[in-house]
Amino acid sequence: MKFLGYILRNARRNPVRSLLTIGSIAVCGFLTVAMLSLFSSADQLREEVKGYDRVIVMSSQGFAQPVPIALKNEIIALDQARGLNAIARRAADGKPLISPFSWFGGKYKDEQLSLFAQFGIDPDVFFDIYTELTLPADQLAAFKARPDAVVVGRKLAADKKIAVGDKFPLKGEIYNYDLDLTVVGIFDGPENRDLRSCYFNWDYLNEGLLSKASGVGANNAGTILIKCASTALIPPLCQAIDQATANSDRATKSQTEDAFIGQFAEFTKDLQTYINLLGVAVAFALLIICGVAMAMSMRERTREVAVLRAIGFRKPQILGMVLAEAVLIAGLGGLIGTGTALLLSKNWDAIAPLTMGFFPYLRIPPQVALAGIAGSLLIGLIGGYWPALRAASIPVVDGLRKVV
Amino acid sequence: MGRPPAIILRQVSKEYRRDQIRIPVLSRLDLTVAEGEFLALMGPSGSGKTTLLNLIAGLDRPTSGEIIVHDLDLTRLSDSQISRWRSDHVGFIFQTYNLIPVLRADENVELPLLLTKLSRRERRQRARTALRIVGLEGREDHYPRQLSGGQEQRVAIARAIVTDPYLLVADEPTGDLDRQSAEEILNLMEQLNREFEKTIVMVTHDPNAAKRATRILHLDKGQLVDDVTRAEPSPPKVAESAASGDPPYVADLDTARRQEARL
Repeated sequence: MKFLGYILRNARRNPVRSLLTIGSIAVCGFLTVAMLSLFSSADQLREEVKGYDRVIVMSSQGFAQPVPIALKNEIIALDQARGLNAIARRAADGKPLISPFSWFGGKYKDEQLSLFAQFGIDPDVFFDIYTELTLPADQLAAFKARPDAVVVGRKLAADKKIAVGDKFPLKGEIYNYDLDLTVVGIFDGPENRDLRSCYFNWDYLNEGLLSKASGVGANNAGTILIKCASTALIPPLCQAIDQATANSDRATKSQTEDAFIGQFAEFTKDLQTYINLLGVAVAFALLIICGVAMAMSMRERTREVAVLRAIGFRKPQILGMVLAEAVLIAGLGGLIGTGTALLLSKNWDAIAPLTMGFFPYLRIPPQVALAGIAGSLLIGLIGGYWPALRAASIPVVDGLRKVV
Repeated sequence: MGRPPAIILRQVSKEYRRDQIRIPVLSRLDLTVAEGEFLALMGPSGSGKTTLLNLIAGLDRPTSGEIIVHDLDLTRLSDSQISRWRSDHVGFIFQTYNLIPVLRADENVELPLLLTKLSRRERRQRARTALRIVGLEGREDHYPRQLSGGQEQRVAIARAIVTDPYLLVADEPTGDLDRQSAEEILNLMEQLNREFEKTIVMVTHDPNAAKRATRILHLDKGQLVDDVTRAEPSPPKVAESAASGDPPYVADLDTARRQEARL
């Protein structure tokens, strides 16, 4: 500790160089921590939804290819016929908890892009399936009663300054049909769910397509969402559905919700791999940056180090002081980078709309934050080792002769 | 000589190797320096003055021969042991002062004390005492860039004496100073030699500086060619600012020395 003052003074000796080194480590640390946390948040969401026993039935050709709405009733019949009783039923009236789940992909008002998720669903059962989403009872009743009703997430309502009773026009991009909806409710839910989405009555969309768009795209559910009675019943149900539709023009792929979300993670898997590789390259570059900065610094101080050696400082003490300086500079960069990532996560609501619902939530896990700081300390330690060793090993007499 | 020997060199040779070429610098040198002696080493460039100084101070090792300082054979010490010995018993004064620019005067003086077990308060106290001895009271908070060359060299002397070493080695201590500052520094060194009984070995090209020593050695081509011992050194010209040996400063250093002995 008694050397700390001297180490701190040395770290501030060339402020521009120190700041540039700190800055480069901070920027890289920030990007690495933020990207790792984004992927980690997606993984966390996958883990959480496992507990809700939901199944998504989509076309075997991919989720961009819709499945017919007729499949919904066929699945209910199949479940009963096979005696599976896998589909959960509402306690009050025994209604099976199954709903279309159809991506609309429209543009809100005069927006140039579709910036948030819009799904056509069955208002009668949807909130019994997505129990983690909450809607006040009166608003739920209005949602079920009114065909042109739409409910919007709390964050979307806040972003667009939407209130109950407002008009909510969506211009069709996939469908040649515009929805003229009215907001009847604002739903809420856990922070890591997409609260910048909206849900409307699938029947309303379908009737519109039939009556005003020559039926193009009608009678398609997009995907079908099922709440299962238990986790154990998911595999036989999925198997039964896929077997029943196999070798037909509407072959399905049924899977758990977390597996469905996992598909999107698969899309970003290559990106993750590239980012990981890039992270290794960046870490190597940072090692060089840190090493060069320390080497320059120590070269300028060769004579001073020799003086320290002359007055009795031993090699390990010199090595320790130079390493401590490198670790201090790199660690400061890591702290700033990680701190900025934490700040970003606190203000993610301002960024999330730009991710179009794919990354509704960013949380920096403690282990990622710690890894970010530890990584920067390691960069300081490894990057500073060679210059430190050189500084400590220069013969005193040679060092004293050195004129820089 | 009367006084016991502080430094004994027996058949000391030193040669450097540059690639395949052997460069002899000192050749079978014998020398004895008494305790409390103020020795000036003179000679032309390349004569081996600084090499001899470095060997005596334990900064370098001889190719052959023995160097005994206060009964300790430096050639038998490990790198770590000799570092420890230097920190305890040798004070260094360099031509270019070699202060650490990012540290204040008192922090520069305190540096060697970081290697001791003294508390922060004790270190500060000793550094301030040493600065008082060299006449820099009130300049403790100044950085080297805020001091004149003479003042910087006095800070360096304070750093050299703060651990109360028995040996001071000075390599051209007045080489970078104007005449007046050089006089002040030489007065201070004389004072340290006479009143604090420090053994001083000083390399110099300046005959005026050498005159202040009690003994002058001339080297040429690695050999001692002349050895002049003066019975009476020239009287000191004490500059007012150089704190000319006031008893309180001596008492301060004595107190500091006793405190260290207790540790």
